[in-house]
Amino acid sequence: MTTLHVRLRWLSWHRPRLARWSQVGLIVLLWFACDQCVRRLHVPVPGSVLALGLLLLLLLSGVVPAVGLRRGADWLLAEMLLFFIPAVMAVWQHLPLLRQQGVRIFVVIVVGTVLVMGTTALLVDLMFRWRQRHAR
Amino acid sequence: MRAELLSLVWLAVTVGGYYALKPVYRRHPRWWTSPLLTVPLLLALLGLPLGMNYPVYIQDTHWLVLMLGPATAAFALPIFRYRALIRAHWPALMAGVLGGSAMAIASAWVLATWCGLDDSVRRSLLARSITTPLAMLVSADIGGVPELTALFVVITGVAGIALGELLLRCLPLRSALARGALFGVGAHGAGTAKAYDVGTEEGSVASLAMVLAGLLNVLLAPTLASLLR
Repeated sequence: MTTLHVRLRWLSWHRPRLARWSQVGLIVLLWFACDQCVRRLHVPVPGSVLALGLLLLLLLSGVVPAVGLRRGADWLLAEMLLFFIPAVMAVWQHLPLLRQQGVRIFVVIVVGTVLVMGTTALLVDLMFRWRQRHAR
Repeated sequence: MRAELLSLVWLAVTVGGYYALKPVYRRHPRWWTSPLLTVPLLLALLGLPLGMNYPVYIQDTHWLVLMLGPATAAFALPIFRYRALIRAHWPALMAGVLGGSAMAIASAWVLATWCGLDDSVRRSLLARSITTPLAMLVSADIGGVPELTALFVVITGVAGIALGELLLRCLPLRSALARGALFGVGAHGAGTAKAYDVGTEEGSVASLAMVLAGLLNVLLAPTLASLLR
C-alpha cells in the first residue's frame, strides 16, 4: 500500500501530464462501468452519482490516495465549462420560445436567486451563531 | 458526407474556440469574457453563414457533453478534501443546503406559475441553482428539458455573481461559512469561483455547499417527480 502511495506521489510530481491523463482515463472507466451497471440493473441512482459515491468510499477507506486522483479530478472539474457549451447551443432549437418568454424567465431566475441566496446565508449564519452560543 | 464533415468542424471550433478564449478570461475575469458566453457567441457568428443545424452540431460534440458524467464523479475529491469542514460544521451546512434547495424549488415553481410560463419551462427552471451536470440529470427526471435547464443554470451563474456581491453588502453575515454557502447554493460553480475571490475559506465552503446541494437535488428528484405529476 505505501509503495503505491509513494509511486503515485512521484508520478504526480515528475510526470504531471501522464498522471493527469491516466487519472482522467481511470475516472472515465469507473464512470462508464457504473453507468452500465445502472442501466442493466435499473438502479434508481444516476451512474455518475454512483461513481462519485464509490470514488468517495475508495478515498475515505484509503485504498486510493487523494494524490493519485488530484491531477485528473481537478482537470475534469476545471474544464467542465467546455463540456456544457454544446448543451447551451441547444438554445438554437428553442429561440422562438425564448423570444416569447425570455424576459419573464429572466425575472424568475433573478428574483429566485436572490431568495435562494438570502435564505441560505441567513440560515447558515443563524445555525452557526446558535451553535457557538451553545458550545460555551 | 458533408454533414459528417461539418459536424467534425463544429467539434474542432468548439474545442479550439474554448482554448483560444480561455486565456482572455484569465487575463480579464469579467462575466462578459467568460468562455460560457464568448464561445457560444463565436459559434453563433460562424453558424450564420454555415447554417446552424443543431442535430448536425451535436452529432460529434455530444462526446463533450458525455464527459459531464466523469466530471460529476470527480466531485468526490472536493468532498474528500473538505471532510474536516463537514465534520466541524455539518449542522449549519445542512441547514443552508436544505433550506436553500427548498427555496430554489419553491421559488421557481411559484414565480413561474405567476408569470404564466409553459409547463416544460417551469419544470426546467426547478433545478437551475445546482451545478450543470447534476441539474441536467434532475431536469430529465422531473419532466423538464435538460438543454433548457443548462441554459438557465448558466444565466443563474452569471446573474448570481452580481447578485451575490450585492447581497453580501446588504445582509449582516458574520461567518465565512454563510458567505460561502450563499454563493455555493445560490450560484453553483460560477458562484464558487467568485467566493474564492472573497476568501479561501468562503471558496471551499462554496464548493462544498454546491456539491451537497446538487447531490441532495439528485436524490430528491424521483420524489419530486412523483409529487409534480
